[in-house]
Amino acid sequence: MNDTNPRRLTIARAMAEAVQQEMQQDPKVFVMGEDIGALGGVFGNTRGLLEEFGGERIRDTPISETAFIGAGVGAAQDGMRPIVELMFVDFFGVCFDAIYNNMAKNNYFSGGNVKVPMVIMTSTGGGYSDGGQHSQCLYGIFAHLPGMKVVAPSNAYDAKGLMTAAIRDDSPVIFMYHKGLQGMGWLGTEAGATVDTPKASYEIEIGKAKVVREGTDVTIVGLAMGVHNGLRAADQLAARGISAEVIDLRSLVPLDRDTVINSVRKTGRLIVVDEDYQSYGVSGEIITSVVEHDYSILRAAPKRVAYPDVPIPFARPMEQFCLPNAEKIVAAYDAM
Amino acid sequence: MAVPDETKLWMYKTMFLSRRFEETIEKIYLEGKTPAFNMANGPIPGEMHLSNGQEPVAVGVCAHLNAEDVVTATHRPHHQAIAKGVDLKRMTAEIFGKATGLSGGRGGHMHLFDPAVNFACSGIIAQGMGPACGAALSRKMQNKPGVAVSFIGEGAVNQGAFHESLNLAAVWNLPVIFVVEDNAWGISVSKKDSTAVARNDVRAAAYDMPGYYIENNDPIAIYDIAGEAIARARAGGGPSLIEIETFRLAGHFMGDAEAYRPAGEKESLGSRDPIPAFRALLQSEGVTSTQLDELEASAESEVAEAISFAQDSDYAPVEDALTHVFA
Amino acid sequence: MDIRISDDVLADDAEAVITVWFVNSGEQIVKGALMVEIMAAKVQYEMAAPASGVLNIVAGVDAVIRKGDIIGCIVVG
Repeated sequence: MNDTNPRRLTIARAMAEAVQQEMQQDPKVFVMGEDIGALGGVFGNTRGLLEEFGGERIRDTPISETAFIGAGVGAAQDGMRPIVELMFVDFFGVCFDAIYNNMAKNNYFSGGNVKVPMVIMTSTGGGYSDGGQHSQCLYGIFAHLPGMKVVAPSNAYDAKGLMTAAIRDDSPVIFMYHKGLQGMGWLGTEAGATVDTPKASYEIEIGKAKVVREGTDVTIVGLAMGVHNGLRAADQLAARGISAEVIDLRSLVPLDRDTVINSVRKTGRLIVVDEDYQSYGVSGEIITSVVEHDYSILRAAPKRVAYPDVPIPFARPMEQFCLPNAEKIVAAYDAM
Repeated sequence: MAVPDETKLWMYKTMFLSRRFEETIEKIYLEGKTPAFNMANGPIPGEMHLSNGQEPVAVGVCAHLNAEDVVTATHRPHHQAIAKGVDLKRMTAEIFGKATGLSGGRGGHMHLFDPAVNFACSGIIAQGMGPACGAALSRKMQNKPGVAVSFIGEGAVNQGAFHESLNLAAVWNLPVIFVVEDNAWGISVSKKDSTAVARNDVRAAAYDMPGYYIENNDPIAIYDIAGEAIARARAGGGPSLIEIETFRLAGHFMGDAEAYRPAGEKESLGSRDPIPAFRALLQSEGVTSTQLDELEASAESEVAEAISFAQDSDYAPVEDALTHVFA
Repeated sequence: MDIRISDDVLADDAEAVITVWFVNSGEQIVKGALMVEIMAAKVQYEMAAPASGVLNIVAGVDAVIRKGDIIGCIVVG
């Protein structure tokens, strides 16, 4: 079989393929979580793995996040490389101690003597009426707390490379996958997330953003779904003769501030798209990073198109009203 | 399970060393904190949770453990760390926050990590239980020897993590032993006011694992039962729950005025101090005073050496606070 | 060669939706490679390419299909 034929994958399949390839290489890698076995993951990201690797390495767990995420920490500290699924990021409340007080801190508390090479993969994002406890992004919460790397791909190519990098990283990594980009037919998928993905294994460096569309008049910075909103906004602006540069952050920790700053130095205008709650989060961090570096590169006050500081409503018109979208980004440009 | 003679001597010396350590730490901890108790002051700032009185739990269990076995412990870890074989000088330096400490001063008394003997502790109640399950799982998956022991207090049994961890350990048949140190007090709330059952061994039935309750802080009984549970785990027989009646001779934390303890309780506990009792037991079995005095002297000098090492060590440069965030 | 929704992909007469084409129309595909994903109720099914050649897509993403439908063809070669 010719492995170089173009072949598109959904993010779900790309994640599963990355995990599969790492598991084939390294017997220490294994997966735990709810419904990741026979079902292949509620969001399709472990499809096919149980058949290939069996129940010892692909472990369905009871609904016991504190115990199995804590177990991931203990196993990682003992030389394994667990990938643990937190089915919805919104569930972090029931197990966050194991994540932010143990997983993220034990390398530091031990002075580097005890590593925790663990990946937590978790679903984020709304837009399909799943309500306020199943639609959050919470990027800011995980990015804010020291000791864990955080990645959030916008497409299958990046998803596979970042998952491979995350598994190989000796630090704990939170891999946040957006449900609306995943490729699950039953909740609608952003077509632009399903892209050509190489069959061979490869890594994408954690901590490096990507300019996904070059431009000269305004910098639009986004993450996951925000990137697709930004690209649509760029198309709308282009029809009016305005050239927008779109940056896909890809990682929140480490954060590639330089790519953003270099872009704003060129364009002078900054819009940050953030599906997480507006205050005290990613959008503020990006804007501040530019301003405190050199506010003279800005020709207009920066803008953010972020989710308002409200719990996510259920009714579709209300939810769509709150979500970032291309039109709001264009309106932000016009208000500059 | 009879205790071999050398083991008894080890148990006595280790309990004595642990007690001497705690008494010494207590004195130094209180420096700079009188007359007004401000926990930020003195050579050992912060919180301090001492294990005086609970030594039998540590030695009775750890007598059966090797360096490769994994222990997760709590905010009251010193006796268990000592019994597990943690490097005493580096542990003491860590308690003092010095560069020569186990973590260069980043962890302190509640976050002691010694990978050489697979010891770790954490300050969040019951949060060492999941990791103990994980370590046990790791050994099982890698087909490597070793069991995990999770030490918790009797207050931890009311945390969700307790129930999740016991269930998970049972469902996956993990080589992990959960040891509850029942000192009857969760800070100021007594066990009977917080816990629906009088003895937590009965909870083991809910998770289909053996449960034991050991009365009276008895090192020999602890050795016996712990040995059985650990042997079972090593043989692939799965997890066990052991609750041990012990007592803390000091307050929950240093500075605890303990007004909540009924009058006379602490005084009466003094007469049940397990260390003189164990010494008397050994003497009744023919161990000479000279032998025991030698063990004590050796313990004293190890403690003194560790304390001096810590006191003489420097703090790490402050910029070290920014390092070792990531691997 | 026609790409037909066979009995072993969709057992009954239920409607299904095409959710993903993994190769674009006009591109080469290899026999056995992952080709298309369809969804009936909330369950996803996949089909591999029955032959090697150039893929021509007739029913695109979001198209509603039934057992027996032809969704595309492969120009063998």
